[in-house]
Amino acid sequence: MRTKILATVSLVLFAGAIAELGSPSAASSHFYRDDPIPREPAPQDAGAAAASQLDLMYELSYNLFALPGRKPSGLRAQNLNTIDEVPDSSWFTNRIGTRAVSIDEIVRGPNAGAPPDPSLWVISREKTSGSHPGITARDANGETWFLEFDPPYYPNAATAAPVMATKFFWALGYNQVESFLTTFDPKRMTIDPKATFLRPNGKRTPITRGDIEELLEHAARRPDGTYRVFAGRLVPGRIIGNFRYQGTRPDDPNDLVPHEHRRELRALYVFGAWTNVTDFKAENTLDTILNENGHAIVKHYLQDVGSSFGVCNDIYTWDVSWEHFYQGSTMAKRLASFGFALSPWQTVKYSEGPEIGKFEGDRFDPRKWRGHTPNAAIIEMRDDDAFWAARRVAAFSNDMIRAIVHTGEFSDPAAEKAIADIMIKRRDKIVQTYLPAVNPIIAPRLENNRLSFENAAVTADVAKAPAGYRASWFLFDNTTGESRPLSDTTSVTTAIDAPRGLPTAVDSFIKIEIAADGSEHDAWRRPIHTYFRLASDGWKLVGLERMPDGPAELGARRRAAH
Amino acid sequence: MRLNRLFGFCTSLAFVIAGANTAIAQQPESAPDSRQTIIVNAADEKARSLRPYEVTIAEKVFDRIEKGLSDQAVTWHPFLENAFRGGGFAAGAGYMFHPSAYTSLDVRGSYSIRSYKLGEAEFRSRRLFDRRAELTVLGGWRDATEVGFYGIGMNTSAGDRGNYGFEQPFGSALLTIRPTRRWLMVRGGFEASRWDLKSGQGTAPSLDQIYRPASPASLPGLGTTATYLHTQATAGFDWRPASGYARRGGFYAVTGHDYGDRDNALGFRRVDYEVIQHIPILRESWVVSLHGLAKTTWAKSDQDIPFYLLPSLGGGSNLRGFASHRFSDRHSLLLQAEWRIMANRFFDSAVFYDAGKVAARTSDLDLNHLKSDYGFGVRFHAPMVTVFRVDVARSNEGTQLVFAASPVF
Repeated sequence: MRTKILATVSLVLFAGAIAELGSPSAASSHFYRDDPIPREPAPQDAGAAAASQLDLMYELSYNLFALPGRKPSGLRAQNLNTIDEVPDSSWFTNRIGTRAVSIDEIVRGPNAGAPPDPSLWVISREKTSGSHPGITARDANGETWFLEFDPPYYPNAATAAPVMATKFFWALGYNQVESFLTTFDPKRMTIDPKATFLRPNGKRTPITRGDIEELLEHAARRPDGTYRVFAGRLVPGRIIGNFRYQGTRPDDPNDLVPHEHRRELRALYVFGAWTNVTDFKAENTLDTILNENGHAIVKHYLQDVGSSFGVCNDIYTWDVSWEHFYQGSTMAKRLASFGFALSPWQTVKYSEGPEIGKFEGDRFDPRKWRGHTPNAAIIEMRDDDAFWAARRVAAFSNDMIRAIVHTGEFSDPAAEKAIADIMIKRRDKIVQTYLPAVNPIIAPRLENNRLSFENAAVTADVAKAPAGYRASWFLFDNTTGESRPLSDTTSVTTAIDAPRGLPTAVDSFIKIEIAADGSEHDAWRRPIHTYFRLASDGWKLVGLERMPDGPAELGARRRAAH
Repeated sequence: MRLNRLFGFCTSLAFVIAGANTAIAQQPESAPDSRQTIIVNAADEKARSLRPYEVTIAEKVFDRIEKGLSDQAVTWHPFLENAFRGGGFAAGAGYMFHPSAYTSLDVRGSYSIRSYKLGEAEFRSRRLFDRRAELTVLGGWRDATEVGFYGIGMNTSAGDRGNYGFEQPFGSALLTIRPTRRWLMVRGGFEASRWDLKSGQGTAPSLDQIYRPASPASLPGLGTTATYLHTQATAGFDWRPASGYARRGGFYAVTGHDYGDRDNALGFRRVDYEVIQHIPILRESWVVSLHGLAKTTWAKSDQDIPFYLLPSLGGGSNLRGFASHRFSDRHSLLLQAEWRIMANRFFDSAVFYDAGKVAARTSDLDLNHLKSDYGFGVRFHAPMVTVFRVDVARSNEGTQLVFAASPVF
């Protein structure tokens, strides 16, 4: 108990200290000249970071039994720039939703190099995790690839899933493994004499053809005797294990924000729900050391997003994405009712066909979706994090979604269409759920004495426009952080005239609180805080706070649902 | 531990950063002039106290448990199997080692609360004939001190119980072949064993006080020692995912046994007909599991079937509401139904009903006058193995509590 309190206190201190770094003080400013920063710098050399691995059972147990009892801190994400956005970093690169992304680009996704040459595979290592059959091998060019086969019950679907998912997650901004669909022909295969299997007696012995034959017995074989495989390229750099969804790497000087307070990691709940990636655990991540700008940095990958689109585990695992591995409340209900308290997964209708996993959009509820386990970042997600994520999901057009699903190379066009349709349906539900849940005003601009902005929920056609908008104007002292009211102005449109008396001196600051009146959404009455600095060429947005620190509404609701 | 360290790190960093800010406040000339500078300063500060990840004690413990569960190369392991049905809770240990990659030799022993003792060694080779066959060779010795016997037939009462004991050295080999590596299963094997019967212990009278050995009223086999060569052969279909735990699939098999007594006095044959069918409902969240088992025996010419090898019903794996070996006769019929309810992926509950009878003639193995029980149970399981089972069963003879480390069927 004491430890928990101390940890909580320390987090608050840490957050406060970081905030103080960027807050007004006697000698520093609230906003700096380089705000908002577009990129999180990584100035220190991280070459000394060492390999480490989080024990799987420990992580699962912690996430299943300790985390659900933990109250979310309610803290705002800590890696935001001053306009409430996630700057680029070694974790994340802003792509869709922040710049134009073409369909060609999105279809290419993380793939920068050539696909594997499958004319010869040299088996080099066994696969040590995951539920579907796989192996590590070098192609005819000598490049190392992680190969995964379709199990017989999911022909094409299991290999399509990671190919599609890596493109979605790349577009969303995450570092992804280059991935391709290719062919494995057992007749064009050799085994590296140094390649070994861990045998039941605990010893490693060379991999034999019999081992590969046994592996292939669990894979979907094509009529010509070959196998379709997913090939993931070995990531560049020195691999130093996984990243954790909590705390920071103590050996990486640039890792300053506790991972549970990184918005892009919190937002994985939304992106996971959309694509049905159910397995956000440390084992499915990868940290590598790369040289960048003359020094070593740690790059963080979401390495395995293949447990997606309903094809994780086997065909008899029905509760995936509806319940955590262990969920006390539903377990108690089923026990007490002799199973008559039905859960949705027991009756939900799925599309027919082996190329489609347990994936549907009709009963999908973005707030009730569940991965295998929660994690610390997901528990900390707030509505402003979800709003940020939903805007990115909303940025995927139908054509983009269909183009990505097409890269799954399904043999049945109906399967491809069904998966794309489901993704579109789930996208719309996510947008419908999260965009109106907070004050959805975005893109404020102050030009020609007129404040204009957009309402993301109205633009997305998931909410009615409010009766009007109200702007409260303040003079803002960038040194002390104090605000002095000027006046309020209103409008029935998304353009509001500025009051008289705005400062005219360059480097003056004003604060504008913008809220909606007469809306069916209570959250819209809570104003967003925006800050503008007068530059030589006009007012520049330098600050935006959608939800200043407060109770973790979403986290609390989700915990209550457990 | 870990939280403490997190606290330590965060607090230090917080104070360092806050301190830096205070210093900055006192020395305006060094105030950071950009966000970039602030982050660079924080990284510089952290760079002075870098350290590797320290694995916590909790992580180490979990790591050890995980290796123990997943690593098949176990050495010491718990062994909870009883020497004989009805021995009560047994505890023991085993030591397993692997002569080769896919073979194992497990030496193990257990001792039960009723002083049943078991010591045995089992050799298993799992990948014979190109992964189509598994060979098990088992040898050992068991001592059962108070095995119940209630008389022959259904018209006995719980108060008729007499106890006997036996010691038995045994050695067996069993070869299971799946010719297609799929459903079809054939099995053959033999066992050599000697049954040394002795007086029963416990609260019930010893059988030799109830039945006078060597008298016409005695029980076949009482007070004797019999040496058997038992051979058996099975043919069947098994399409369950695993015999240790299944929510779907079935098992249909017929097994023939030949018990050859070296003295040609207690030789007999037995045929077992067994059906197991799991019927998943609502995506396996419910499973109706059905089990039928009929055993028929007949003595070889001029020989008899010893009372202790007669088919019997009662105990934790068949008629659970009755004491072990409660009913014995030449033939038996057991019918079991369970409604298994998935609470989560690792925990099931079950409502069950067992019924069965023993009879002197096969024609009497009908559905009339079955003894029955009902009850409720919970099971902790892994995907392919039942780790722990607790059943509470109620019959007209009372309530029985069953603890087991195996599925009921």
